[in-house]
Amino acid sequence: MRIIIFSWEYPPRVVGKLAQYVKALASLLASDKVEVNVVTYDDAITGSSREPTGVQVVRVPNPVRTHIGVLTWVLTLNQEVERAAANLYYEAGKQIDLIDAYDWHFIPAAVTLKNGLGIPFVYSVESLEDHRSHPANTPYNMAIKSVEWLGFYEAQKVCVKSEWMRDEIIRIYKVPKEKIFVVSTAPDSSVKEILSLYTMLQEA
Amino acid sequence: MKNDLAVMMLSWEFPPRVIGGISPHVYFLSKSLAKQGVKVYVVTCDFPGAPSHEVIDEVEVYRVDSYKNPAPDFATWVYLMNLNMQKETAALTRKIENKIDLFHAHDWLVANAGIGLKHVFRKPLLVTMHSTEIGRRDGLHTDTEKMIHETEAWLTYEAWKVICCSDYMISHVKWAFGLPNDKLVMVPNGVNAQSYGAAVDDLKDFRNKFALPQEKIVLFVGRLVYEKGVHILINAVPKILDKVNAKFIIVGSGYMKEQLLNVVRGMRLEHKVLFEGFLDEQTLLKLQQCADVSVVPSLFEPFGIVALEAMAAKSPVVASDTGGLSEIIKHDVTGVKVFPNNPDSLAWGINKVLLDDNYRQRIRENAYKEVLERYDWEKIAQQTRRIYEGVLGEYSISFWA
Repeated sequence: MRIIIFSWEYPPRVVGKLAQYVKALASLLASDKVEVNVVTYDDAITGSSREPTGVQVVRVPNPVRTHIGVLTWVLTLNQEVERAAANLYYEAGKQIDLIDAYDWHFIPAAVTLKNGLGIPFVYSVESLEDHRSHPANTPYNMAIKSVEWLGFYEAQKVCVKSEWMRDEIIRIYKVPKEKIFVVSTAPDSSVKEILSLYTMLQEA
Repeated sequence: MKNDLAVMMLSWEFPPRVIGGISPHVYFLSKSLAKQGVKVYVVTCDFPGAPSHEVIDEVEVYRVDSYKNPAPDFATWVYLMNLNMQKETAALTRKIENKIDLFHAHDWLVANAGIGLKHVFRKPLLVTMHSTEIGRRDGLHTDTEKMIHETEAWLTYEAWKVICCSDYMISHVKWAFGLPNDKLVMVPNGVNAQSYGAAVDDLKDFRNKFALPQEKIVLFVGRLVYEKGVHILINAVPKILDKVNAKFIIVGSGYMKEQLLNVVRGMRLEHKVLFEGFLDEQTLLKLQQCADVSVVPSLFEPFGIVALEAMAAKSPVVASDTGGLSEIIKHDVTGVKVFPNNPDSLAWGINKVLLDDNYRQRIRENAYKEVLERYDWEKIAQQTRRIYEGVLGEYSISFWA
């Protein structure tokens, strides 16, 4: 199985707890014979590198340096993420089984790659705009929510770490319950569950 | 003709959605390319009442959701709209089994979509730069302007070729983004001469609504903003009236309107200078056909389509010697060029045209011939097709092919 993980943070760039989680998960998946590629953002160290665990990491910078907000920053970065993912796709002989996109940042890229190249994606939710910036009703928040909505709509499966989050997604975005997959919080126990989700998608 | 070449045009405006000059440009270019045997798909923003898919003279037009939620500001909306445009175009390209040879983007407004699609499908991207942020704003003063400028730079970097509508724009774009010469190609903008040449029977009655038979008509068409230089024409009015009995017709609207009206009132020339505001296409066409002279006194002008339209309508043109206008007009042959930002020079040029019937007639004929020879959409489509073929030749030996 060959996959690409999208995450806006990955060590050494650490913003929250997602970076360490994705790194641990990617290593565990790699030791489980999954060919893991990570596409992430970094302005200082860019390009492709292979970690001792076998995980291939591609770090892309933002092609536009001046921004007026996180939205414009994210929306121009997505084309570089697409470029990196498309390069992996063509180098792998067009054989990528799925993309796992963490949070909303790289949903635009995942959606385009799904529609253009037929690569299915999982939307792994760490947090929602509604919880980050309650009541999240400015045009700015609504735009981010519309990207989250697009992710839920276009994703093959949604992956969350608690039943509470599953219920929140159902409440806010009216996502069908059977589309949401709940896994354990720690990578050691969640890796098998996530792998079974990937296998399910691969066979579908 | 066999469709041996397919292009996906990306444009944020396409008729009936008309905001600026890109809309008619993409409309005529696409139709003319289709006549040259190019299969053209246009992906553009939706518009109330316009179908999401239609075929216009063999051009496949797709109108996509342009993002209807409230957006924080215009630039952010542009990027959000690009997300939708890119998604829909990716799905369309997949649906037609990737039978696309190139993507052709128009301005930064579709930069993200064009760049993303280029890499996802590994097809060449071309861009037509109709204008630049640094030119529009005369410098970069805010973060939004810088961001747009950098997006333009990114787009021209990713593009295989950058098309500009005048030599002036070529040098401007080269300076603004530091591009190599061999990346830039000049293809003039076009004008649909047939629609301007159409005979109108009630022209005399029409003319009488605007001017007395003994008055010459001096016409200005454009937004009433500083860079269009309409204030220079207003300042030249008394100098012209000293020598010729004329009526000045100002078509268009803009933030300078009140200011200009006050100047005219101060000169007590309200009966000689008419502000008509926006006019429908048909009325404007008739006015251009009856005008004894069309004036384009711009201070900044990437191309100057209004001069071409006047030439197509067989109205003699007096234009300031700047930007794209310098190239469109050949002085004393297809029009009169005057010093920019100089009412005396402008008055001299207008009087020269109005006082000499033979001169006027000669310029009118030469200008019309020039429009047919140089600015005909069929010829422009042929040039564009050759650019496409050149790019595809280079592409065919690249590792992407």
